[in-house]
Amino acid sequence: MHKKREGVVVQLVRALPCHGRSCGFESRQLRVIRYVSYNSRTDNYSTSLNFLTTFNIYSMKLNFQPLFSKLFSIFLFSMVIFNTDLKSAHADFNNLTPCKDSAAFQKRLTSSVKKLENRLKLYTPESKEAVFLKNEITATKTRFERYGNSGLLCGKEGLPRIIATGQWDHANEFVIPGILFIYITGWIGWVGRKYLRYASTTENSFENEIIINVPIALPIINSGFLWPIEAWKEFTSGDLLADTDNVTISPR
Amino acid sequence: MSDFLKYLSTAPVLMTAWLSLTTGFILFINYVYPDPLIFPSF
Repeated sequence: MHKKREGVVVQLVRALPCHGRSCGFESRQLRVIRYVSYNSRTDNYSTSLNFLTTFNIYSMKLNFQPLFSKLFSIFLFSMVIFNTDLKSAHADFNNLTPCKDSAAFQKRLTSSVKKLENRLKLYTPESKEAVFLKNEITATKTRFERYGNSGLLCGKEGLPRIIATGQWDHANEFVIPGILFIYITGWIGWVGRKYLRYASTTENSFENEIIINVPIALPIINSGFLWPIEAWKEFTSGDLLADTDNVTISPR
Repeated sequence: MSDFLKYLSTAPVLMTAWLSLTTGFILFINYVYPDPLIFPSF
């Protein structure tokens, strides 16, 4: 049942004593090899995953040319994108109805308004609370109207659903906000990286990280809106990724 | 004055100022355009 796995005993002898963190018995490289050999025996995982890990080992062992490994990773990435099953992206939503036509959605509107109107009865019309509740009622009505008119689909219970399959008629529900999120977070990350790279070139780089050089940082922040183009440029020129030799690894 | 500017440039102080601005911006958007569930199509 439990087969002998190659290389483990050797690593046990060579292993460093455990000092709190990262006290693995084996190096990272060996773990990958064991993982793959387990994989190929039982065939539990998809072949593509197996292929990816195998590639990692070979690139580690043989130390491919950086350009080749880069091109290969682009190829793999495109395979991942184009191989995904697109059937679900054009699913029909038979169990969902447009919120505008949904009876349950309308019921939610009337019950929400009714609750507010019942509270409104407790106050004199001129009071602060009454004005607040009246505003709440108009806000509720506009909210339901807007959700109804924006083409949202509602479930049986009358609550709007966000369609995240990526189809264009529902793009403003998930795809556009998602792209915006990636764009903004990318902007933040990109300018942070750019500033850190600037700081590393200065004489006292640590001080520049703690006390921000605002006159330098502001133009960097403002120029970050072009980050996808800049990132692509750096990627093609080889400046985006660090060399394998520069990446620190745990001692072996 | 230069010391004060240096104090304002320290990461925690700058972070507080920056995030206050961001918070204010998001609050303002939500005040003008409440209950956004989807990206508005104009």
